[in-house]
Amino acid sequence: MIQVRFHGRGGQGIKTASQILGSAAFNSGFQAQDFPLYGAERRGAPIVAFTRISPTPILERGPISNPNLLLIGDETLLNDSQVAPLCGADESTIVFVNSTKSTEQIQKQFPFPAAPLILDLTDRCQNFLGKGHILSTALATAGARILGNIDLKDLLEAVKMELGQSLKPETLQKNLELTQDIFHSLSPCTIPEKPIKALASSPLIELKQTPVHEAAPIILAPGNMALRKTGNWRMQRPKIDYDHCNKCLICYARCPEGTIKIDEDGRPQIDYEHCKGCMICAQECPGHFIQTIRESEGAHE
Amino acid sequence: MIKTHKRVSDLHPEEIITPGTGLCAGCGGLEGLRLALKELGKDVVICNAAGCFTLLSVYPFTPLQGSWLYTTMGGPVPAAQGIRDALDVQLKKGKLPSQENLQVLVVAGDGSSNDIGLGPTSAALHRKLDFIYFCYDNEAYGNTGFQLSAASPFGSSTQTSPSTHEHPAGAEKMKKNLFDIWKAQDPTYIATVSPREPIDLSNKFAKAKTMSGPRMFICMSPCPTGWGFDPKDAHVIAKLAVDTGIFPIKEYFEGKVVHTKRPRKRLPVEKFLERQKRFSHLFYPERCEDVISQIQKNVDDYWSHFE
Ligand SMILES: Cc1ncc(C[n+]2csc(CCOP(=O)(O)OP(=O)(O)O)c2C)c(N)n1
Ligand code: SF4
Ligand code: SF4
Ligand code: SF4
Repeated sequence: MIQVRFHGRGGQGIKTASQILGSAAFNSGFQAQDFPLYGAERRGAPIVAFTRISPTPILERGPISNPNLLLIGDETLLNDSQVAPLCGADESTIVFVNSTKSTEQIQKQFPFPAAPLILDLTDRCQNFLGKGHILSTALATAGARILGNIDLKDLLEAVKMELGQSLKPETLQKNLELTQDIFHSLSPCTIPEKPIKALASSPLIELKQTPVHEAAPIILAPGNMALRKTGNWRMQRPKIDYDHCNKCLICYARCPEGTIKIDEDGRPQIDYEHCKGCMICAQECPGHFIQTIRESEGAHE
Repeated sequence: MIKTHKRVSDLHPEEIITPGTGLCAGCGGLEGLRLALKELGKDVVICNAAGCFTLLSVYPFTPLQGSWLYTTMGGPVPAAQGIRDALDVQLKKGKLPSQENLQVLVVAGDGSSNDIGLGPTSAALHRKLDFIYFCYDNEAYGNTGFQLSAASPFGSSTQTSPSTHEHPAGAEKMKKNLFDIWKAQDPTYIATVSPREPIDLSNKFAKAKTMSGPRMFICMSPCPTGWGFDPKDAHVIAKLAVDTGIFPIKEYFEGKVVHTKRPRKRLPVEKFLERQKRFSHLFYPERCEDVISQIQKNVDDYWSHFE
């Protein structure tokens, strides 16, 4: 059995990617299982999805903690200790990252157990679909190609099955072209078998009865939500051009998150620890003095 | 004397909602609430109906400086009644100093406001409960995956009202008129607001803050996820809703309805419709001329009463 784990963000089509890969494997004669893990979070928040592929019936259920293949849709997730996308990966795990970096560059930055495979999917999605952040087809294709046991024809069929209902024929066609492009840009890998670890039994948890006031969820620290950093939701980052900004503060008024503060000189300052990258400020700045840069590039400025 | 804002730099500098919430990037409703709370300040207790804004506070975190009580979808107004009564009793007995009196604020989605929560609300209006109601109107049951609510507009597609061969328009009913339903019970104040008009919104909250009795706000809340548009366009969509006349910005006070931001020259409704996935079936594969012109006619009919 091959176990694949996908990491991405709400709105990138990560769940759909796991479905396309599952259907493609099924079309190629395998049994398949695919599902996302939903939290309460929304568009932009980190998302995980899973696909299991096997020639024999799949009896295992639940999330995949030791993947054979890890598909990371957004390299900024590597920075995030809450997501920890490399968790459970060992030397035998093939890791694929959507990034503009070279393998050496990215290996220097993050503790990969083995050299990762890299391709700039965002750029290709931008070229083919006009939308760099819709990764469903691209990530599924990368997965299918790396696995090496799924036919291109079966994959194209899966893309049609999963997206044909909701996309216009032109857009579907562009997705099929994107599939072929990415399929031919990567090479298959040999996926080493992972020995199945026996489940270690854990002792039963004993439940204690506690007084009601301890059990009721009461929060006594006002505004402590700021401890949660939503800056890791961002795929793009806004950057204010202070040479031109005239302090009109439209951006400040329009930011849904309230992450633009006004400094002593009356200038807007973006709190990057919390900015979710919706890009409303960039769209609404009357003189277009807020630029949009790809997060992976902006983060190192 | 109520201070009126003229420029965005006049907005209250304090943020009452801290960042860090789990709401979608670009959520128009969050922005409406953020601006509203800037005006209302900290001394507010929020009664929040189950919905998207459940994610404002996720244990053990809260983005608020003030208090927050979470209720079922039908329960925020009864909760507000309970809190108001408790405050009044404690104040009267002298057990609570007057500076600890709080403004009671209900925050609820359009589903809760128009459907399951409307009965208790009507009862509270009848009793002239002293509270402010903030309805963030994303025109569907957003939290559970964007299903049809009584506020979903005619011609929009939702998870439970997709465009089909039998029902090409998608949602076939007109949006419930919550403003007029409230108006019929003669509350102190009602206003519609848009995050695209922060000055108008802030002035209305500043005004409502000085009053007592039932006060209601309907905030048009562009929802990138459910409506299907790029988050960065949230304000473009909000502006088009105002400029096409689809979302009239108005208030009701002392028996009169006044439009506080009139579209100068109304744009055709399709300028608003064509930018959202929930209306895409009206333009593709064929233009649904009858549905689009019906939507236009509804808007024209509305404004003909005021022009
Ligand atoms: C009585 C009751 N019925 C159903 C639910 C499940 N539920 C939770 S949120 C929600 C949707 C609420 O929709 P709306 O009020 O429009 O707010 P939104 O999700 O759009 O923010 C539903 C159906 C519930 N919590 N309580
Ligand atoms: S909207 Fe543009 S010009 Fe105005 S304060 Fe923001 S960055 Fe400066
Ligand atoms: S992109 Fe701009 S508007 Fe959006 S959260 Fe960041 S600072 Fe606010
Ligand atoms: S689904 Fe819509 S209303 Fe709900 S949090 Fe997301 S953007 Fe806001």
